[in-house]
Amino acid sequence: MIVLDPNGEKLSLMSLNVGPTHPATHHCVRLLTALDGETIVAGVSEIGFMHRGFEKMVERGTWQQVIPYTDRLNYCSAMMNNIAFCRAVENMFGIEIPERNKVLRVIVNELSRINDHFICVAAAFQDLGGTTPFMYAFNPREEIMLIWEKLTGARLTNSFARIGGLYRDSYSGFEGDVLAACNSVEKALKDLHACLDRNRIFLDRTVGVAKISKEDAISYGWTGPVLRATGVESDLRKDEPYYDYETYDWDVVVGTQGDANDRLQVRLAEIEESVKIVRQALKRLAPGPVDIIDPRIRVPSHKMAYQDMEGLIGRFKSVYEGIRVPEGEYYCGSECANGELGFTIIADGSGHPYRIKVRSPSLAHVSAFNYLVEGLTLADSMATLPGLNMIAGELDR
Amino acid sequence: MDFSEKIVSVLEEKFGGKREPLAKWDACVVIPKEYLHNAVEFLKNDSSTQLDMLLDEAGIDYLTYPNHEGPRFAVSYSFKSTKVAGRRVRLKVLVSEADLKVPTLTDLYKSADWLEREVFDQFGIVFEGHPDLRRLLNHVEFVGNPLRKDYPAQKRQWLSTSDYLMPELEKRLESKGYKVIERSEEINPVDEEYLEGSRK
Repeated sequence: MIVLDPNGEKLSLMSLNVGPTHPATHHCVRLLTALDGETIVAGVSEIGFMHRGFEKMVERGTWQQVIPYTDRLNYCSAMMNNIAFCRAVENMFGIEIPERNKVLRVIVNELSRINDHFICVAAAFQDLGGTTPFMYAFNPREEIMLIWEKLTGARLTNSFARIGGLYRDSYSGFEGDVLAACNSVEKALKDLHACLDRNRIFLDRTVGVAKISKEDAISYGWTGPVLRATGVESDLRKDEPYYDYETYDWDVVVGTQGDANDRLQVRLAEIEESVKIVRQALKRLAPGPVDIIDPRIRVPSHKMAYQDMEGLIGRFKSVYEGIRVPEGEYYCGSECANGELGFTIIADGSGHPYRIKVRSPSLAHVSAFNYLVEGLTLADSMATLPGLNMIAGELDR
Repeated sequence: MDFSEKIVSVLEEKFGGKREPLAKWDACVVIPKEYLHNAVEFLKNDSSTQLDMLLDEAGIDYLTYPNHEGPRFAVSYSFKSTKVAGRRVRLKVLVSEADLKVPTLTDLYKSADWLEREVFDQFGIVFEGHPDLRRLLNHVEFVGNPLRKDYPAQKRQWLSTSDYLMPELEKRLESKGYKVIERSEEINPVDEEYLEGSRK
């Protein structure tokens, strides 16, 4: 199209669709750009290609049946979403979960965070043409995936947390596996930093690219590592601690520039902090129960159901009618790999959720994408998107 | 007095708010529609609150809620502060079916843009003053508002095209000071319906 630019000069712009299925978007997202040569003058985006109606579907099932749906939000760290949802409902019940459960959830949370950050950084390099870091990141990631297999029986959409408990206790040898994974994560981090920190091509592609100011990031609702990359020290694990996060010795990682490079470096540094937390949590992992004993909330064990009248009734009722969450409404956010994953829950006191609204961090991040890439070249926009770690599962729900 | 108690009483006093009795675990204030914008401006800018982040806007349809009285819809806004840790509050506006209009917050928070589009898409609530109110998650051809309680969950619709984003792109260019003087042939299809697709 022919346009007059703000100075009154005649320009010929080309409109170009990027996506919906572009290799560098990883998922389906469409960006329509107006290009002046190679520079993006303006862009508008369309999302919703993977909208599966999460919020409509969960209204049809019981409260426990929401959990497998939450796996499909951010599927790179599926169990973290379970834990965030269960925490919200447990707060509504006003129950305290057992100590072993808390520690196990912290370990699972942090290992998931490591996994999620690894896949984000690895994919970002892949998009810029570097395949070596991808392999370095995926070796320890595979070790963690093997732990998931043993723990839950699944690799991708695994669910582990339950309201008032866990699917089951950890397997024997869990601690050894986690410790070994921590060691290989640390080794991989060294390799990754060696690949990236002084890599001229990588630095040229990312330093100073797609900068965002603190104020804009906050206004766009950014949370998590991408907000911290702009220098805002905001982490729910420190700000509104849960699961005793405040008693672990770790630091909030912040960046300085808020550019594409910072967003990836903050993630790598966060992996380091997560390993620190996991190591401390392993020392706290003492034997004990993982489920609360209340047949009205947590489905009773088989042993209890077969030998005890209340257990049998509890099992029957929670499967057929669902557990009864007290009537009311509540917003609860947890710090997930991508940022604050929040659930606005409306409960009418029955066995089914009346309404659950997911506050997905990706939606806030991607809504700023147009703004970020305007003025950049087309190639730079592809260096920007992976740093935002867009996950279509939670973006489109 | 802790922050949430204080903010609830300030909102009640200044903006005619009412504490939501069903919010038993967090602070939530029901605000009359006409004061919403002022109340949010106060929450954002006042030095005693500093709630600088709009986290979420959630539409609610009370059609099948047991023993519900009052308007059918509501929108719940979640705010938090990145400056003072742990400060949160929720505002709620009630929206009746006859008057599905709510003032927009896009001039205060940039995140409100997509969040309001989502509520518009899923519930059909209209945000007055929103610069670009279109569907967000469902495609342009979609008919109805799927998260309303009277929309059947198993209903199927055939959707064949993605958004025609050209008008939006031109709008975006114009907001940056550009002026479109000539469109190329292929982006000016004769099919009227296709052109209007994005505005359905």
